[in-house]
Amino acid sequence: MITIKDLHVRYETDEGAVHAVRGISLEVKEGEFYTLLGPSGCGKTTTLRALAGLERPTSGEIAIDGEPVYSSSRGVHVPPYKRPIGMVFQSYAIWPHMNVFENVAFPLREMGRKVSREDMRRRVRAALDLVQLKDLEDRPAPFLSGGQQQRLALARALVKEPKVLLLDEPLSNLDAKLREDTRIELRDLVKRLGITTVYVTHDQLEALTMADKVAVMELGTIIQESSPLDIYQHPDNRFVAGFIGQSNFLDGKVAATRAGNGMGVVETAFGALKCHLANGLSPGDPVTIAVRPEDVLLSVEAGPGADNLVEGEIATVVFLGESQECMVRLGQNVVRFKVHPTTSVARGQAVKLSLTPDKCRALAR
Amino acid sequence: MATRAIEIPAARWVFTKGMFWQNLVLLVTAVFVLIPLVFLVLGSFSTARLPTEFSLEKMGLENYAAVWLDPGTYRLFYNTAVYVGGATAIGITTAAILAWLVERTNMPGKIWLYAGIPMTLAVPGLLQAMAWVLLLSPRAGFINRWLMDLFDTTTPFINIYTLGGMAAIEGLRLVPTAFLMLVPLLRSMDPSLEEAAAVSGAPPHSMLRKITLGLMVPGIAAVTIYQAMTALEVFEIPGVLGMPVGLHVFATKIYAILQSNEVLPVFGQANALGMLYLLIGLTAAGFYWYLIRRSERYTVVTGKGYRPRVLDLGKWRWPALGLVFLFLFLSIGLPFLVMLYTSLVPFLQPPSWAVLSKLTWEHYELVFGYPKFERTFWNTVIMVVATATATCIASFFISLVIVRTKFWGRRTLDQIAFVPHAIPGIVAGIAFLWLFLNIDMFGTITSIVIGFTVGFIAYGTRAMNAAILQIHKDLEEAAGVSGAPPWRTMIRVFFPLMLPTFIGLWIWVVLLAVRIAGLPLVLYEGPKNQVLAVLIWNMWDEGDIEAVGAIGVLLMTSLFVLVLMLRFIGFGRGVVQSR
Repeated sequence: MITIKDLHVRYETDEGAVHAVRGISLEVKEGEFYTLLGPSGCGKTTTLRALAGLERPTSGEIAIDGEPVYSSSRGVHVPPYKRPIGMVFQSYAIWPHMNVFENVAFPLREMGRKVSREDMRRRVRAALDLVQLKDLEDRPAPFLSGGQQQRLALARALVKEPKVLLLDEPLSNLDAKLREDTRIELRDLVKRLGITTVYVTHDQLEALTMADKVAVMELGTIIQESSPLDIYQHPDNRFVAGFIGQSNFLDGKVAATRAGNGMGVVETAFGALKCHLANGLSPGDPVTIAVRPEDVLLSVEAGPGADNLVEGEIATVVFLGESQECMVRLGQNVVRFKVHPTTSVARGQAVKLSLTPDKCRALAR
Repeated sequence: MATRAIEIPAARWVFTKGMFWQNLVLLVTAVFVLIPLVFLVLGSFSTARLPTEFSLEKMGLENYAAVWLDPGTYRLFYNTAVYVGGATAIGITTAAILAWLVERTNMPGKIWLYAGIPMTLAVPGLLQAMAWVLLLSPRAGFINRWLMDLFDTTTPFINIYTLGGMAAIEGLRLVPTAFLMLVPLLRSMDPSLEEAAAVSGAPPHSMLRKITLGLMVPGIAAVTIYQAMTALEVFEIPGVLGMPVGLHVFATKIYAILQSNEVLPVFGQANALGMLYLLIGLTAAGFYWYLIRRSERYTVVTGKGYRPRVLDLGKWRWPALGLVFLFLFLSIGLPFLVMLYTSLVPFLQPPSWAVLSKLTWEHYELVFGYPKFERTFWNTVIMVVATATATCIASFFISLVIVRTKFWGRRTLDQIAFVPHAIPGIVAGIAFLWLFLNIDMFGTITSIVIGFTVGFIAYGTRAMNAAILQIHKDLEEAAGVSGAPPWRTMIRVFFPLMLPTFIGLWIWVVLLAVRIAGLPLVLYEGPKNQVLAVLIWNMWDEGDIEAVGAIGVLLMTSLFVLVLMLRFIGFGRGVVQSR
């Protein structure tokens, strides 16, 4: 549905030139929920704006549904109002001088005579119904709560049944509880409609819970693109491992590689550890081992036969209610992990930890 | 996210190809603002008899020598300093008391002050000053006459034709703006700053002095300078209260030089004096900008809606409200009543029971019968409508370039557009006088329109900048992705959102243009370009006081209506503050 090839966006600001997007290529299939995830300034919003036509790229190709909407080689730049898109802005951009109905009717009115009066009324009502704002038709837009504004913006983006729905951090202005509910609702809605969706966020939880495919961006490039589960379990580098979920990082050096299953041995200051080696690593390479807190176990809990044992002393224990978070110092590194609240752990206690071998990933440093 | 302007539909629609439009806007603005100033400067060195005989051969320092060797000039410094200082002191003190009463005490009826303050806009300075002359002139002033009768004496009690009189009346006129500038200062102060001092062991008086006042000093200083600039600039008050008895300040002296009947006016000398006046104005403006920058660093004004502590006035609550009503009566009620009375009596005399039975409409009939009134009326209508429209359009385009483009010269443009703010009206008047005499446009309504428009773009662009900044670009981009082409975005989103600002600014300019006498007096040649303010001035000069009363009542009534409309559309306090 969407194809982007080698997209570059450079622009001038008062502070100087910015190379916001540096050669992005991606493919979004029909009906797919595609998420661009990254910290602020990584170029994700710029990419989305280029897709919408709000930003003119410096070079590259963008096609929606097979139609090129931007192509530097062919000199094509379709303006936003001619692209088959709907968009929800981070600020919602609800027009304050129109009421709820008029805000939603706007895209239809812009289609001119093609939409009859009755048809328009029906479609606006349907869109409002979809986001549960049916009873607020006549309300002036400024008199809506944050959540209602967000849903109104969504109805406006959906009303003309665009081929592509673009969402620019649509949940970031909602409070925590509402955000949680809306995440599920929004995903269910676009999946039910089967509309191709590109979603921009800096919140890894949103990306993991909503997306079919996540592209993690840093400094204007996509550094890993995969399904949420895969990206969580198999981060390709330290940035992704740290940005999505929590990770412990331990420094070491590859001691041996084993062909076949991709496993190997990494030598660290506190012993040799069996790890999953990223592609292209050979003995002697400096690496960082990433291991999730949930894959670190107390050896007593891991049971007999536990592998990858390291010894340390508990430096801190924090009671979190549903669990206790412990920090253990290992040489230069700190390992965090959680234990059940009833487990007896105390500061200063010497412990043995088991780092589940196939969950330890050695990444190039 | 860095701020970028290039991809905004509305701006792109207007400025499609390259930088052509931006350059044009900058060029036109620069021409209209700077060319008159060039004439002002050149004229000050010109030794030719008339501005139209200007040539580069007849240049010299004679005008400056004449101005600096005249002991009258030093008298002018003294008079201006006393008048400006007095007016500012009276204005700021009164405004500070009123602001403190409404913001920090439990005085009842606060709404009266908030509602009344904008109404002062409807009373032109010219009429305000004239009303006070009718009350307090040494021989004929109603109040003086009463007091003289009461105490059976022939020495007048109060003389309004003094520096003190000028300072008092101008001080009264400074209060509304000063009040509107001081209120946010008081309102936005974070009470926790004071509470932190209290818990740090500062007793109340020490807290008030070191924290409350300390935080407000930069703000109050800026307001004071701003008010002093206004007092310095105003022509009408010293024109009515000082000029008739030869008591001059800069503004009136320059006008008097131009009007001198005995010999041919010494145009060059007016310019040389104007340069001095301009220098004082620019110095004050520079100081003001410096203070503003400094006070921003304090960031006392955070925009958060704090609930400051309120002082219980106890039994003083009602006297406090009485003070508020006294102020409103002196500023609005009294001048209006005096003018109304004057317009209804057969001939001017102090109020008495006897005269109340002889009230008549004849002056109104007379005024409407004047052919020159009709002409003046239409001149004025054309002038204010054209000025307001031109100001709105010019300010809009200038602000669009400043706020919404990446034009290289947008900061320069911003500064050029603000320059007229620092130029006193009379100085702008002579600058334009030279320009229009030399391009043969003197004596036209257009000349007044151009003069006013250039003066008002300083306020206009401030209002437009703020309004355009407030329209988040997302609102327009949302229209774009909803399928609206740029011109439709302009019509359906941008203009509707800008409309209140357009209407507000338009009415605001009308309110100002109709009341200011200084510039039209300098550019006035005859009935062809006479406007109401000039007519009032001339009739007053000729002693046609009752007719002035009638015109004054009609003018103030229409201005009241305009002010109410302004309130209705809620046009920003922000702009009200700029004058």
